[in-house]
Amino acid sequence: MDARRQPHELRSRRFLSYDCNHADPVIQAQARKVTNRVGAPLRLIALPLLMTIVACVHDRSSRPVTAGPAASQPASAPVAATAATPQPGADVTAPAPEVAPTQTNAPGNPPPTPSTQSPGGQSAPATSRTRPANPPTNPAVAPRAPATSATPPASAAVAASAASRPPVAAAGTLDLKGLEQRLRDTHAIGLFTKLSLKNQVDDLLAQFKAFHAGQSGNTLDQLRQKYELLLMKVVSLLQDGDPALASAVLSSRGAIWSILTDPKRFAAI
Amino acid sequence: MPARPIVGFFTLALLGLSGPVAAQGPPPGEDLKATIALHGFPCDQVVDSKRNADSDYTATCKDGNRYHIYVDAAGRVTVKKL
Repeated sequence: MDARRQPHELRSRRFLSYDCNHADPVIQAQARKVTNRVGAPLRLIALPLLMTIVACVHDRSSRPVTAGPAASQPASAPVAATAATPQPGADVTAPAPEVAPTQTNAPGNPPPTPSTQSPGGQSAPATSRTRPANPPTNPAVAPRAPATSATPPASAAVAASAASRPPVAAAGTLDLKGLEQRLRDTHAIGLFTKLSLKNQVDDLLAQFKAFHAGQSGNTLDQLRQKYELLLMKVVSLLQDGDPALASAVLSSRGAIWSILTDPKRFAAI
Repeated sequence: MPARPIVGFFTLALLGLSGPVAAQGPPPGEDLKATIALHGFPCDQVVDSKRNADSDYTATCKDGNRYHIYVDAAGRVTVKKL
């Protein structure tokens, strides 16, 4: 009773010098009242505030997840369309950009690569995943992509190119010594056959040497025919027993030819 | 005197190399058939082959043609129709 009558200063002093260990029950009750008065409206505000914060956080956290697929969906959508659904339009348009880059990439390679890819209409999707690395570099593809659909194919090509750059780069470079070693080590062909092939390769190299020295009766076209014939022999011997090596030899056909026809690079062999 | 160990080493090395190759490579008939074909002779299948010496074979094809396949002194594989 006396405490209620105490002046406001005294009460506030007591309140400020509040000690938990020696708490006055009256002061405790007053403190509870004050906290209740302040806490009730705070709760009213805090609840909706908390809900909005939670909603915002949820929205933020969900946005990147949805934005990722939204950006990648166009990339995967055409692939899925070509791979899963046998839509004639999609199949026709999808391989088209793949053929063009191979033609521009390796001048010597175009004939074998399209021929190996084109016959299998169902194998086109598999190649479409690995091949689209070149479309960004090839300007001829850019007009084709908008023709089929607006922007998704372009982003799909970029995304696919990022995924499949290493294989294309590996195919573009020529590891002549590695290829030679693989030919030596392969069990797809026998020793007699290997020796025969080596003899024929040596003969051809001798002819190229004479050609670069200006002492050959063969023209470059004739040498090209002989080179192609020998390469076909090698590939036909390998394709059953060692298809990976056969395709490696076939894919490096243009690169080998460029070395053979370049006198400086040929001399460095 | 030092030639003996070198020869022995190379012999062992050749044996070590040729063992797995012979085990994992194609059968001799296939090898001979491919060799005959590489030299431009017709042979759809080797039905019989006889080893005359090292790197020297006589092969009989299914069509009746017989070939002498050997490695000459220059290290070249030679195919002669018999």
